[in-house]
Amino acid sequence: MIDELNITAYRCKKCGRIHYPFHDRCLDCLGRDFEEIRPEGDAKLLAFTEIYNLPWGFDVRTLKIGVVEFSNHVKAMGQIHIDGFNKLKTGMKLKAFWEPIRKHAGDDVFGLVLR
Amino acid sequence: MRQVAIIGAGMIPFGRRDEDSLLDMLAYASLNALDDAGMGKKGVDAVYVANMGAGILQHQTSVASALVDRLSLMPAAADAIENGPASGASAIKNGLLAVASGYYNYVLVAGGEKMREVVGWKATDFVATMTHPEVEYPYGVTLPGMAGMFTRLYMEKYGLTRDQLIAVAIKNQKMGALNPYAHVEMIITKEGIADSPDSVVNNPMAADPLHLYDMCPVSDGAAAVILCPLELAKKVSKKTPVWVAGFGQATDTHTLQEREDPTDLKAVTLASKQAFDMAKLTPKDVDFAELHDAFTILEIAESEHAGFFKKGEGGKAVEKGATSLGGKLPINMSGGLKARGHPVGATGVAQVVDVVFQLRHELGKDRQVKGAKTGFTLNFGGFGNNVVAFILKRAE
Repeated sequence: MIDELNITAYRCKKCGRIHYPFHDRCLDCLGRDFEEIRPEGDAKLLAFTEIYNLPWGFDVRTLKIGVVEFSNHVKAMGQIHIDGFNKLKTGMKLKAFWEPIRKHAGDDVFGLVLR
Repeated sequence: MRQVAIIGAGMIPFGRRDEDSLLDMLAYASLNALDDAGMGKKGVDAVYVANMGAGILQHQTSVASALVDRLSLMPAAADAIENGPASGASAIKNGLLAVASGYYNYVLVAGGEKMREVVGWKATDFVATMTHPEVEYPYGVTLPGMAGMFTRLYMEKYGLTRDQLIAVAIKNQKMGALNPYAHVEMIITKEGIADSPDSVVNNPMAADPLHLYDMCPVSDGAAAVILCPLELAKKVSKKTPVWVAGFGQATDTHTLQEREDPTDLKAVTLASKQAFDMAKLTPKDVDFAELHDAFTILEIAESEHAGFFKKGEGGKAVEKGATSLGGKLPINMSGGLKARGHPVGATGVAQVVDVVFQLRHELGKDRQVKGAKTGFTLNFGGFGNNVVAFILKRAE
């Protein structure tokens, strides 16, 4: 499923630092040339929460949100779609999917979903 | 550069102010500051207005021009400053630089926000617009959500406990109950928000592991200050002048995920260090601080990153009473954002107003830091991606 993730990260051609989202200049060396890369491998959970007071656009009671790091060091935020918040632990491995995360003007908005 | 004094400070009670427009609130706070300075009918050279959301919440723009008109301060220069929740301190910094440079002598800085006229989800969404528009916002992450993730990491790395967060909430709401300008004037107990069976209802989860009482309220409010060169301060005002001994501002990555260590609030450390270096002071020289406790975790983390406590010691300091009145470093004797409230554009200005009141020794014994000579403020924008710090001193 990871091949289908619509995430493009950017590896600095000069120093190798990986950026997501895009920066015009490298955060470390200020280089301007980047290689586009995709997330690869497992998604390790770095941080997570469950939000009870939601902003506009969500027709659910709570949202579980996490930041993961893929094997090739791309880091990204996503929604965690599992039952049982207490099952989550920092450092655990999750599978990544590209699925609807919200509706906008009646249409699905796709994003990173973790299970 | 000239030394800059704060000769006037004014505020209006924060809370739900259905009867007032944003401009009403800005005008009331500004008039309070002008009167406090003894400016009478004297005008100012420039006006800086801090506001984050009028364009979204009130469908109103150019609030600085509107305020100048409302106060009949024309032809004063007028600029609006939008820097998220750090707008207030950013506006003061810009006013400060204008006076310090010698270009202007008298500057009004007003900060205000009217957040309660929209429903909760809309206010939450408005605040969330400061997250990254492509890789964070679409997922539904909120600022409390950011704080929840940060808190869990802080607990895992430094052993921070829920009891320490609760101690911040209890302390700040106790002080808020004594502050006539505070939004929340309710004293809370550990039993009520954590230990009793009712606490599950009283204090529900908001963004795990943070609960409702770890959050600041959504508030309406405004605050204002008048700046002038220190050398002119005593000619204008009969009150003890307070002057800006140091300031700093620093930024960090927009997203938490791109920080090497997401528990490291680099911008807080850098902005604070700049302020201390400029003032030629150290954290030990500070008598009290007003920190940006939009969430209880932030008061603790900021107190450590600003250099007042070692990493992992800030929570223990709160529990031991070191940050209470009479302690080593009283923090948020105004009640902080937690109790005074957090009308985002007003907060940075309100922090400075509270420090001015303290340094002029104008508060009652239940909130006044005895003999206070040096105060510190920290205004925290985004989730630590734009931070402004001030060190203010009482001019003897």
